[in-house]
Amino acid sequence: MTDSCILSLLILLPLLGGLLLLPLNGRPALARWLALTIVALEFGLMLLVTLKTPAQGVGLLPGGYFLLEDRPWIPHFGIRYLVGMDGISYLMALLTAFITPLAVFTSWRSIKERVGFHFSLILFLEGAIMGIFLSLDLILFYFFWEAMLIPMFLLIGIWGHGNRIHSALKFFIFTFSGSVLMLLGIIGVHLVHLAQSGKATFAIPELIGTTFPPALEGWLFAAFLLAFSVKAPLVPFHTWLPDAHTDAPTAGSVDLAGLLLKTGAYGFIRIAWPLFPGAAAALTPLLLVVAVVGIIYGSWIAYAQTDLKRLVAYSSIGHMGFVMLGIAAWTPVSLTGSVLQMVNHGITTGALFALVGMLGERAGTREIAAFGGLWQRAPLLSGLFLFFAMASAGVPGLNNFVGEFLILAGSFRAAHLMTVIAFIGVILPLIYTVRLSQRLLFVTPRSDFSMGDLSHRETVILGSLALVDLYLGVHPIQFLELLKGPVELLTGGAP
Amino acid sequence: MTVADLWSAMPLVILATGAMIILLLGAVVPGRHGIAVGAVAALGSAGWALLSPPAQAATLGLVVSPFSRFFTLLFGVVTASTLLLSRDWLARRRMEGEEYPATLLFAGFGMAVVAAADNLLILFLGLEALTFAFYLLAAMDRDDPNSAEAGLKYLLMGGAAAAFTAFGLALIYAGTGALELSAVAVTGGNGVLLAGWGLLLAGLAFKVSLVPFHLWTPDVYQGAPTPVVALLATGSKAAGVAALLLLLGKSGTTFLHTPLWLLALLSMVVGNLAALCQRNVKRMLGYSAIAQMGYVVMALLTGSGDGFAAALFYLVLYCAMNLAAFGGVGSLVGEESTGLIDELSGLGYRAPWRSAVLALGMLALAGIPPTAGFAGKFSLFRAALAGGEVTLAVIGMLTAALSLFYYLRVVATLYFRPAQGATAPVVTPATMIPLAIVSLLLLLLGVWPEGVLQITQTITR
Repeated sequence: MTDSCILSLLILLPLLGGLLLLPLNGRPALARWLALTIVALEFGLMLLVTLKTPAQGVGLLPGGYFLLEDRPWIPHFGIRYLVGMDGISYLMALLTAFITPLAVFTSWRSIKERVGFHFSLILFLEGAIMGIFLSLDLILFYFFWEAMLIPMFLLIGIWGHGNRIHSALKFFIFTFSGSVLMLLGIIGVHLVHLAQSGKATFAIPELIGTTFPPALEGWLFAAFLLAFSVKAPLVPFHTWLPDAHTDAPTAGSVDLAGLLLKTGAYGFIRIAWPLFPGAAAALTPLLLVVAVVGIIYGSWIAYAQTDLKRLVAYSSIGHMGFVMLGIAAWTPVSLTGSVLQMVNHGITTGALFALVGMLGERAGTREIAAFGGLWQRAPLLSGLFLFFAMASAGVPGLNNFVGEFLILAGSFRAAHLMTVIAFIGVILPLIYTVRLSQRLLFVTPRSDFSMGDLSHRETVILGSLALVDLYLGVHPIQFLELLKGPVELLTGGAP
Repeated sequence: MTVADLWSAMPLVILATGAMIILLLGAVVPGRHGIAVGAVAALGSAGWALLSPPAQAATLGLVVSPFSRFFTLLFGVVTASTLLLSRDWLARRRMEGEEYPATLLFAGFGMAVVAAADNLLILFLGLEALTFAFYLLAAMDRDDPNSAEAGLKYLLMGGAAAAFTAFGLALIYAGTGALELSAVAVTGGNGVLLAGWGLLLAGLAFKVSLVPFHLWTPDVYQGAPTPVVALLATGSKAAGVAALLLLLGKSGTTFLHTPLWLLALLSMVVGNLAALCQRNVKRMLGYSAIAQMGYVVMALLTGSGDGFAAALFYLVLYCAMNLAAFGGVGSLVGEESTGLIDELSGLGYRAPWRSAVLALGMLALAGIPPTAGFAGKFSLFRAALAGGEVTLAVIGMLTAALSLFYYLRVVATLYFRPAQGATAPVVTPATMIPLAIVSLLLLLLGVWPEGVLQITQTITR
């Protein structure tokens, strides 16, 4: 089933929509509705794709893809426009199509200046991230991987708060510096493959299985590892994240936590591990330690934060540590858990950032100490905040629990000690979220700013996100079925 | 010399006569016709080069080859764009008269001669013709003491470099007894020839600003009139690289590997580090040019067809990027500007199109997709790795990561800082049209570089 143009449409629709919105700065209402139409169309396209997901893995193309598109792009270098979708990229694309409307809604009223430009950047970001998740050619991947930084840089720098210029530059320079060596790594993989097979290609499916000289494999793997670790982010490459999150506008934070971090983890799964299984296996102990350090450290620091947004940002580091643990263990169950956890974290943390943004806009401050007693004044907002905070803490029945459980259960077989330590990391988020919820929602109010409850628009978005959280928490089997095939291909065993 | 020879040399003839006609016109109808005539002549020369069939036989030390036609086309377009970009600037500086367009066109002529040279003397004449034109152009803004200073500095250092080049050529002639380009091929143990090569390389390194022969670059970039720097940064650099390509293509790079390696390394490191500390836009771009030429030499020194093709490809992009950068800067800063980056604050919203061009140029120079800069960087580093230059490529990449900071600072100043008092000067379509064309080119070649890549591949084969 090579329904060719639908994947390209998924990438191009937001990009062209972004171009369309660029000159609409003077007409905010039109820009908003147009942006909403485009992200809705994109979501509709994803639903159309959903109809094409094969039941029980029938009708799959070789490599487990159910949609594939292959055209020459720069034949001079053997670069192809090769995009494909399997279960993993399907989930990631669905997440992208789901989070972007959230980003659009959160900036609906809060962005008052240069509205057209703002929404066009959100759309460019969506297109580029779609491109990352669908690319199967390394250069195409890298193209989107770096192009994505420009809209995020501008979002933080133009509409951000506080020390926005510094944070925007830090974000761009950190992530770019992390990736430049990956470009050399990509060329290196290509050249080794060229020397062995005589075929110039950058296509991931063809490059898998290339044998590298051991010393070279280590260096190449390190180049990829660095790029993905900065983006994921893994401790100690995480320092750009709290700054970027704190100073980004709400939509930027939502996209950053919901989507950008996932591209790093996705890179591990799609590229780094399949290309260099030997080096990955050799480095597993180190990566497990890094993942667990991330879990404990992120949660620990989150506990100490006094700024709402910074707290959620550090909690992301902890959660991405879990994702990394599942990837590093590389067992079928843990990998399934990691992919699922990427979706869970995207939705839950995206929603939390949206809520934090709403709180910040209403109160004019994000200091935790300034809040209190919200439950009486804004019951809907408080209820949803509590819901997502509990989901984030991994309460059973909600989505994060499923992911964390699968990751821990899967990893235990591969790494006893590290998994046992990681179990502590399950408790830590509970501590800081319960404390946060208490100080925010229940104690007596500490300042008397007027706090309106959620509008209908906000209730609908957050409510639907909550439903998805609940659905993923009690009935994740459909998603697990989707992941079965690709995970089996990656790890060589059924989950 | 036959009529056919003259016919094939027409692109050069058009450029030279164009310059003469502008000067003569000045005597009859003084005014601003010079720009228009010059642009037509430059584009005519480019069109002729594009359409003429390659005639292989060399006469008068000139040869019409795919290589020379490629460069003549590039130089014609770059010269025409610079002339158009100059129009508003000249009007603002009240620099009327024909000497500016005529000299600029003459510089274009020198560049085209370099690319068409088949003889060491002609190559030298071409290089000196274009440099001589730039001595004048750099100092042409008489009311601006910085311009005079830039002209003088360029003249003094350029004179020394010309002496190096000439003495190098003389030694090569003494060592081989020939003046054809093929004479530079080194045959074992010819010490005189090697010494000649050393001096020649120093002279050429001066032209393309490789460290340690780069000292003139930041000063001249900062002081010279902005449109002049646009041509100096594009056409003149491309001509220098064309000369390197011609010579290295004949001689191979094996015997020059170590000096070229060091030149590339030093240029990348020193250029990028120094650019980090600059507060003046044009000075920063001067150091950036040094670093960028380091990348090009990194690909050249592999001596492979891949490396040469990548260098050619990058030159095309490099010209477009710098036209965008200098065209943008020249049109954004007003009369009383001191050229600091901070003066661009908030202009992103006051002059959105011109600022977008400048920002695009910065992102392209930094090599970020979807701009063409990425395709260019990719082909350079691919050629370097394929040629086994792993150490150089890794260092180059790391310095490229550094360079992001100073390129982004310009973008951040344009869009993130509140506007200060200054507004951008008013410009006419003469500025906007070339800027629009280079911007489209930068985006188009970023998404679809295949066409130009094929051409560069054919030329270097």
